[in-house]
Amino acid sequence: MSTELGFEQARAELERIVAELESGRADLEEAVRLWERGEELYRLCVGKLDAAEGKIEELGRRAEAVKPEG
Amino acid sequence: MLSYSRLVKVEATLHGDRKVYSVSAFNRGVGSWLSRLPTLWVEGEITELRRQEGWQSVFFTLKDLEDGSCLPASMPRVTFDALRLDVADGDKVHVYGRPELYEARGVFRLRALSLEPLGLGAALVRIERLKKALAAEGLFAAERKRPLPLLPGRIGLLTGNEAAAKRDFLTAVAARFPAARVLVAETLVQGVKAPGAIVGTLGDLSAEPEVDVVVLARGGGSFEDLLPFSDERVVRAVAACQVPVVSAVGHEQDTPLCDLAADARASTPTAAARLVVPDERELRADLTRLRTALGRDTRRTLERARQSLQADAQRLRGAPALLLERKRARLDTLAGRLRALSPRATLERGYAIVRTESGIVRSAKVAAPGTRIDVELAEGALGARVEETRE
Repeated sequence: MSTELGFEQARAELERIVAELESGRADLEEAVRLWERGEELYRLCVGKLDAAEGKIEELGRRAEAVKPEG
Repeated sequence: MLSYSRLVKVEATLHGDRKVYSVSAFNRGVGSWLSRLPTLWVEGEITELRRQEGWQSVFFTLKDLEDGSCLPASMPRVTFDALRLDVADGDKVHVYGRPELYEARGVFRLRALSLEPLGLGAALVRIERLKKALAAEGLFAAERKRPLPLLPGRIGLLTGNEAAAKRDFLTAVAARFPAARVLVAETLVQGVKAPGAIVGTLGDLSAEPEVDVVVLARGGGSFEDLLPFSDERVVRAVAACQVPVVSAVGHEQDTPLCDLAADARASTPTAAARLVVPDERELRADLTRLRTALGRDTRRTLERARQSLQADAQRLRGAPALLLERKRARLDTLAGRLRALSPRATLERGYAIVRTESGIVRSAKVAAPGTRIDVELAEGALGARVEETRE
């Protein structure tokens, strides 16, 4: 499930978790659960950065394919 | 056009020694002569432009720019529409055409085959008009702008085949975020066919898997060079593009309309790169910061829970002693009350208890004179005999 999560959503959720913990509203059990989830999200984000490989590709030239206008 | 096959033989009738031509024959003859004239360019200002869906032709009057002389003109509507020039009254134009006679009415006019707006003025006016119309439609509204992805999957780069814009963009991307993936599409960005090519390429790029942002990069150029980026088709395609578009067309001072329709605008391809990819070092630092905060806040919650647990334990341990203390206090109170009730306290105030053999004496009647009595005092006791009884 979490593998489908994009970098952006993962980072946003991590930020929400930190804010929730910071507020001190979470009880012990909830705090531990949030921490585990936060670590998972952190690893996901860093993993995405580590896994990304720079690549430059070319899309087939379009100019020839252009249909002449009316 | 000078072919003699187009010349018609015009028949005249003879009235005495006079050759007479019918109107139709005259017009046909003149028309035939006019058609021998060459096709050429005429410069003038468009007035009285009339265009209707049902009509075969579009009609207008060309007015001389200096003395105001007029020349009626017509143009096939299909040709006129295909030019997509959005010309209007007041535009200065070059018209390519030849003279013709509308024989049914004997009206001479210019048959236009093509038309070009004259100079920058007309183009500027046209762009300004289009800008107003599209703005009124809400195409440039701030609410329409979509946020760019924080970390793009693939970046679509639409560019001309000039090296500079592409190189600047790719260099800046590689410096900030070496892991970025860019899909480059080179296309025509100049000339009449450019708008169609740009629209098509934009569609192709945005439909590619994982492309979640498209950058239009076109280096500086003359005003005319950048015209395709103000073409209505291009502007609409940018606004309707299924992924956010960053426009980096021309220099700072140029504002092609696609800039207004795009979700973000960059003054140069390098600036576009800064908008499209995050700085990898900053991104990692940001993640590290979040993780540190995560650990710190979790520890804080744990520490709070531990402290509250310790307080509970202490109260639990203290509980039996407290209970005992409370019981002792209650016992002390009882002892005090008991002491207060004891006869000893009464004796200490100076009272005495008198007893005979049959018990405590409460009445003089029970102790006749001579009876032996026992008097208990606060300290010690007396043995005595009754001397006298008073009732």
